[in-house]
Amino acid sequence: VAKTSLSSPPWPEVKLPDPAEEAKHHAEVVQKVNELIAAGHYGRLFAVVHFASKQWKITSEDLIMMDNSLEAECGDRIRLEKVLLVGADDFTLVGRPLLGKELVRVEATVIEKTESWPKINMRFWKRHNYQRKNIIVHPQTVLRINTIDIFPCLV
Amino acid sequence: MVLLGAARWVRSRLTDRFWRRQEVLKHARHFRGRKNRCYKLAVRSVRRAFVRSTKARREKKKFLRALWITRIEAASLEHGLKYPAFISNLVKSQVELNRKMIADLAIYEPKTFKSLAALAQRRRQEGFLAALGDGKEPEGIFSRIVHHY
Repeated sequence: VAKTSLSSPPWPEVKLPDPAEEAKHHAEVVQKVNELIAAGHYGRLFAVVHFASKQWKITSEDLIMMDNSLEAECGDRIRLEKVLLVGADDFTLVGRPLLGKELVRVEATVIEKTESWPKINMRFWKRHNYQRKNIIVHPQTVLRINTIDIFPCLV
Repeated sequence: MVLLGAARWVRSRLTDRFWRRQEVLKHARHFRGRKNRCYKLAVRSVRRAFVRSTKARREKKKFLRALWITRIEAASLEHGLKYPAFISNLVKSQVELNRKMIADLAIYEPKTFKSLAALAQRRRQEGFLAALGDGKEPEGIFSRIVHHY
């Protein structure tokens, strides 16, 4: 085909590596990470957890405050299940979109259940004698992340 | 004899005017000028402050998202990817991290961000290959390409 402006795509030509070699390389990496996890050669683990419709980046001994109330009482141990990402210094496990429950375990304790400071909602239209003031106090919960554990069951 | 209310000819004076004014002035104590001391000026300033804080609560969400996007763009350009390519390829690879998380990872976990950028780059290349298809010409009469050589 003659070389015109539309005869080849506008992006540079792409060559992917050989699939067999790549599969071998992937298996090696997975085995190495599995060995690291099994031997416990990691320092502090961090995790990205989806909780209370927000995503949090947490480690152990972390405090988290949510803008709503939980059904658990103060002092209850809770397991956070929707884990999106777990990482240490040498490796990261990225979930697509979530990681398995047999792979990660994140535990937290409910510490405090309070109310927020009184937030003021005010609307005002000038020259119309219209003003409304509404004071909102909503419940908050404080959690302490106790532990993040990973288990060596990578495939 | 017990009277449940005062008689009509008994009149009362407002006695807690001071505290009603203090309720407004306490929100104005950190303002500048006479509006932190004088009630008539403080009422107007405090009302504007409350209205502005309600509106700002809605703008804060937009502002923070723009900030995260700027940070992600800067970090992904360091790894040779533009922001739309990075985000679209991450979403296509079923990684559901939101912009706040990716910005935090870019700041505090640079190695993790590098691996995410590599993932997005690889997915982008696979997308290019898939877009090219087989490289053969399409069949049919009206879609046939005429060769002049």
